Amino acid sequence: MPSQPPLPPLLTPYASSLPPSSLTVLSSVLGATGNWLVLRFLYAALTTSSVSDAALGLSETSHGKKRKVVLVSFLRGWDFWRTEAKRLGLDLARLTDKQEFAFVDGLSELFSAPSTASTQAPIHQSSLRGAVPPRTVLPLRSQPGPVPARGPQPAPRPVAAAPNPPASKEIGPVKRLRLSGNGPAALDALEKDIAAVINGVRTPTPGDGQEDPEVLLVLDQPDLLLAATGPSKGIGATEMGDWVMGLQQYAHATVLTVSADSPLIHNASTFAHQPSTPLETEHAAFAIGTAHRAHMVMQLRNLETGAARDVSGVLRVSKGGAWGQNDSTEGDSHWEEKEVLYFVQRDGGVSVFGRGE
Amino acid sequence: MAPTNTSHRQTHNLLLISKLLSLRDTASPLTLVLDSLEQPATPLIKEYIRRAKLSKTHITFIAFETLKPLEGVDAFVSARRKTPLEILKAVGAAYQDVSSSGPSRRRLILIDAINPLLHSKKNDPQFHISTFLSSFLIPSSPTAPKVEVSLVVNFHQDVPNPPAQSPYAPSPLSMLTYLATTIIRLHSFSHILAHKAARDRSLAAPVFGLEEEQDGVLLGRLDKSTGNESADGIVLELEHRRKSGRGVLEWYFLPSASRYPPQYVKEIVTLLDDHPLYRPPQEPDTGAGEEEPESTFELRLTERQRREREGVVLPYFDAQQGDGPGEGGRILYDMGEEDDFDEEEDEI
Repeated sequence: MPSQPPLPPLLTPYASSLPPSSLTVLSSVLGATGNWLVLRFLYAALTTSSVSDAALGLSETSHGKKRKVVLVSFLRGWDFWRTEAKRLGLDLARLTDKQEFAFVDGLSELFSAPSTASTQAPIHQSSLRGAVPPRTVLPLRSQPGPVPARGPQPAPRPVAAAPNPPASKEIGPVKRLRLSGNGPAALDALEKDIAAVINGVRTPTPGDGQEDPEVLLVLDQPDLLLAATGPSKGIGATEMGDWVMGLQQYAHATVLTVSADSPLIHNASTFAHQPSTPLETEHAAFAIGTAHRAHMVMQLRNLETGAARDVSGVLRVSKGGAWGQNDSTEGDSHWEEKEVLYFVQRDGGVSVFGRGE
Repeated sequence: MAPTNTSHRQTHNLLLISKLLSLRDTASPLTLVLDSLEQPATPLIKEYIRRAKLSKTHITFIAFETLKPLEGVDAFVSARRKTPLEILKAVGAAYQDVSSSGPSRRRLILIDAINPLLHSKKNDPQFHISTFLSSFLIPSSPTAPKVEVSLVVNFHQDVPNPPAQSPYAPSPLSMLTYLATTIIRLHSFSHILAHKAARDRSLAAPVFGLEEEQDGVLLGRLDKSTGNESADGIVLELEHRRKSGRGVLEWYFLPSASRYPPQYVKEIVTLLDDHPLYRPPQEPDTGAGEEEPESTFELRLTERQRREREGVVLPYFDAQQGDGPGEGGRILYDMGEEDDFDEEEDEI
């Protein structure tokens, strides 16, 4: 198969011009993950302002504007995204230094104990002195064994070494989200953290000519948040939807990835008449609800005819429920619904092609 | 169907839909729109807004999931993180400014999706959807000037409902369908055509999108507008409850907004049965010649054949003349030259 450019030509109309304050939903299944597509969105947004595209003569209005990206990932860490982006020729670390990209880690410390938060630590230590000694003992006990990614271990680390070291170990300002409290208040706190990162990226750097750069917000699998909290913590599909809407207000355009595996969607569907678990109901309500809000829905799924050596899956692009709400913004984005096949090569390159091509 | 019945339906039901969509005479105080991912309500909502603009009706849009105000909306109320009471207050305040400046008698309140409100975790148990919706329609104070309020509520059918708080309470959807004076169910026209094509061949109806229950498929819609231009548009399945209690069921076709100018005043909605793609126009012609069965044989008689047939005197007429027993009823036959005389058979 001939190699295609980092952004396959068939994908360009979908990835490059997202209308303002729009929501794009990428749905994926276990056998057809959407990371490559997220990376294509990052690539499309981050390279449009660079020289390479200007040389190609793509002189559209959207290309002249500087795009910045904030990636909030709930399933994968900074190392994963940095490595994968490097294969595309995107140096995320350098872009972070240039304030064109920011990564928000929603995975590593999401459920860490709130008392280890950097700002509250001095206040709490005085009041909760009794609670501190057992914590300082913990790392000694747990360090020799294999360390689980989440669990009791991440909590003691910041106590042993103040909040600065984790930040300096990572390249660039990797913000880590931490969930505390219940219900919408907890989500509000997360929203505030992410909004701070977006505003930090948005503030024009001195060398920049641009006044108000467009910020693309990518929310990678926020359904983890819903699955991990659930109705018992006062967070349901409505609260998550409100949270996403709140975040949309800060960004120029939003891309959201969500799982659409059969059990998560169809067990609770209105067409299946069987009792379903709260997780199934809430996830389906969240996924379908976001598709209703979305301007464009890109669905990844396996090939119906089974696995193939040269096809990884099917990508279907459809108009979401909110398509056509604003004629003025719809006018400058010309795309049509389409179904194509894609193939992720071993080197990370992706080719996208129509059926039978 | 008899032609008189069709014309009756055309006049009456088209008048009804035009009255409902243009909010005349508050024909329907509470309209429930049931949409799905396969056919979102956006085109219908925009049609409501367009008609309300033409009739200078004040439009309030309560946005549970819309971020940016739609074009032509007079007041945009974001319902995000608001309690039902706060929404009510905001909606009331939105009209106060208008009513003081210049009275616009009619008011349209649109709710883009009621699902988030129904699913919200923070609703207190005292919250009832019926009280919430009716408080929009009932004037806040008896002294307030009378305003004709029409409420259009959209409900996503395909979003699953959380289990009810009380096992004895009705589901939100059945509550809404009970309250509504008009229910409009939306279908995609291309799906309706596919269903009809399958029905005409006695095949099982095809399913689309979530109903396919295929892994990873949320939306089945793919527009093939390049091939079939006139297939874009939406189908409205209308159920209207009259004040008398009689229900009216009808299927309509609403063409897409690009097919007519926004200031167009004439009725653009047609009956689904009148759409050329749904019911091809040559069908009535075949119904006209129903007295003769069609065949490859010529079964009709020419004028001469008919005359000669009438001229034949059948044997029993001869027998009735009563020339005695055995006489009548004989077959009189004149032999032609080609006939062969047979003694045993032919006795004269």
